[in-house]
Amino acid sequence: MDSWTLLLEGFATALQPQYLVFAFLGVLLGTAVGVLPGIGPAMTVALLLPLTYTLEPAAALITFAGIYYGGMYGGSTTSILLNTPGESASIVTAIEGNKMAKMGKGAAALATAAIGSFIAGTIATVGLTLLAPVLARFAVNLGPADYVALIVIAFITVGALLGSSVSRGMVSLGVGLFMGLVGTEILSGQQRYTMGLLPLADGIDVVLVAVGLFAVGETLYVAARLRHGPIKLIPVARGWRSWMTREDWRRSWKPWLRGSAIGFPIGTIPAGGADVATFLSYAAERKLSKNKSEFGHGAIEGVAGPEAANNAAAAGVLVPLLTLGLPTTATAAIIITAFQSYGIQPGPQLFTNQPALVWALVASLYIGNVILLVLNLPLVGMWVKLLQIPRPYLYAGILMFAAFGAFALNFATIDILILLIIGVLGYFMRRYGYPVAPLVVGMILGPMGEAQLRRALQISQGDLSALVTSPFAAGAYGVLALLIVGGLWLKRRQRRYELALTESIAVPIKADSEVV
Amino acid sequence: MTSGALGMEPETVGADESRSPRTRDSVPVGELLFALFMLALGLFALIGVFGIRVPAGAQVGPTVFPIMVSVILIGASLAVLVGLFRGHRAAPEEGEDIDENLSTDWWTLLKIVALVVAHLLLLEYIGWAPAAAILFGGVAWTLGAKRWWMALSVGLVLALAIQIVFGGLLGLSLPWGPLFGWLGGFF
Repeated sequence: MDSWTLLLEGFATALQPQYLVFAFLGVLLGTAVGVLPGIGPAMTVALLLPLTYTLEPAAALITFAGIYYGGMYGGSTTSILLNTPGESASIVTAIEGNKMAKMGKGAAALATAAIGSFIAGTIATVGLTLLAPVLARFAVNLGPADYVALIVIAFITVGALLGSSVSRGMVSLGVGLFMGLVGTEILSGQQRYTMGLLPLADGIDVVLVAVGLFAVGETLYVAARLRHGPIKLIPVARGWRSWMTREDWRRSWKPWLRGSAIGFPIGTIPAGGADVATFLSYAAERKLSKNKSEFGHGAIEGVAGPEAANNAAAAGVLVPLLTLGLPTTATAAIIITAFQSYGIQPGPQLFTNQPALVWALVASLYIGNVILLVLNLPLVGMWVKLLQIPRPYLYAGILMFAAFGAFALNFATIDILILLIIGVLGYFMRRYGYPVAPLVVGMILGPMGEAQLRRALQISQGDLSALVTSPFAAGAYGVLALLIVGGLWLKRRQRRYELALTESIAVPIKADSEVV
Repeated sequence: MTSGALGMEPETVGADESRSPRTRDSVPVGELLFALFMLALGLFALIGVFGIRVPAGAQVGPTVFPIMVSVILIGASLAVLVGLFRGHRAAPEEGEDIDENLSTDWWTLLKIVALVVAHLLLLEYIGWAPAAAILFGGVAWTLGAKRWWMALSVGLVLALAIQIVFGGLLGLSLPWGPLFGWLGGFF
């Protein structure tokens, strides 16, 4: 098969010693930064973006693949070992993994998360290898109206489904779209919303928005209500033997596979990304487990399944990203920015125009997964040390690195000011419950959507009905309606479920059927 | 826990709006102001449309998309406002290092913002590394680092490391400044 030869060539590139070093560094840095408390995958990727500025495209992409997977995995270590409530995104892993660690089975929780991530990541990357070229071939034939449909889907699902409030999500999306408008418009060369200010004529750099919202906004948000006092860590038994017993393996392998099967498809559709996949996997494991009573008290299946689903979804997100150029999560939006800064435009043409680069990237995803596994288990001690960094120093470091990233864009201090303003906006958005992810996605997709919309309307001579009459577009809007209804139903269920789960820590679960 | 107990929680009421069970009677001034600010941004976007010059003969001009964006912004922020008046409060984000029982420390926030502004004003005069060290040391001290000189020296070491690796070895043009100009001469 053709794509296999190309994949082998990709491996030939990615396995060259210098690229292996970049992959290794990417995974190491991604995990190290991802482990740091308060830093999610999106922030990891945004913060480490400046590191790749100076590299050539292939090396930068390979490093970036490592950072992406490392950052995805790093978060679970935090929630297992840190004795404070984690981000709500990883709440299910946090609950089960944290309970396991408290029972002295922290090493087993970390191991099942690491091995599960490896297996799921590998399966999902195989899925990506098989699906992406097919989808890209199909996508080449899509017209502007079809793209408008896809982008509208992405807008609405991201705005409505990321975050807890639909109206706030749409506001966030609107702000992102507005920021995307600022600057000189490409087709007619008109300035929009620049207020005559020169730094705004080129538009607001997406990197500033991502780093500002995630790094500066988060730092300000934490700084306002920083938890003082000693950092409570759960000690983990050291040594190879204590990792996973035969029983742990027996109970983990099915959740790993199920998690992969749930995570990958969910990642490929714009339905809220890894959160939803994690939650669905947890619910499935709970329903299927023979040890239902252990759930909420440290069931290994509740770590193995969701962690696998999380990583599989991370790979799934890359499918629409690479083949259609559509980011469906904030992390994906930042990755698109990274691609663009190397002069690469993801989309159906990518597979035909730059096959060597794409397949080197896919190959480095496989390699990154292996490195992740090899690196993570022996280095648990180091991650534990990272978790103990005094918080004042940690957040001072994040802020310094964010300012560095902003300045390194154009070596203009005005960029640091824009970063700060966006950071303050990010602070208030967090404070008042506005999700920031739709903003980033809207800012990336806005200009793309506008270009496709105008192209579509130009072809149809201004006839609006052309936007919905192509069979693909019409089908897409139908799917959109289903996605929204299904997604909102899932969100509602997830919220009830998590609420029930949080309560179940205090009160023993009486009957499983009442929770689900 | 039973489903009855679940139903009593206000959290489960709306599918689209989450309600926080706490402080529902007081007027959420901050939330209102922010929602109004978002509404103002939408109005600004809409008014700004009239300032965009449409080239003659353009079938779909540069104003079409901005109008759509303004409508989304205005509509969504109106929905948030209506929700607020009907008692739908936001659920603020949670985090590992956040103590939810603390009230917002505005003074700390102000100091951090001032430090970032100081950093960007200073960096071209005193060099990137010293300016970054001041930012690092200042923020760490503001957040409760015990010894200010320790925070400052850690910041300086880190900043110099970044400047040497990225400025010196990888060629990003970070200003060295008068203090470390001699160091820049090595690269």
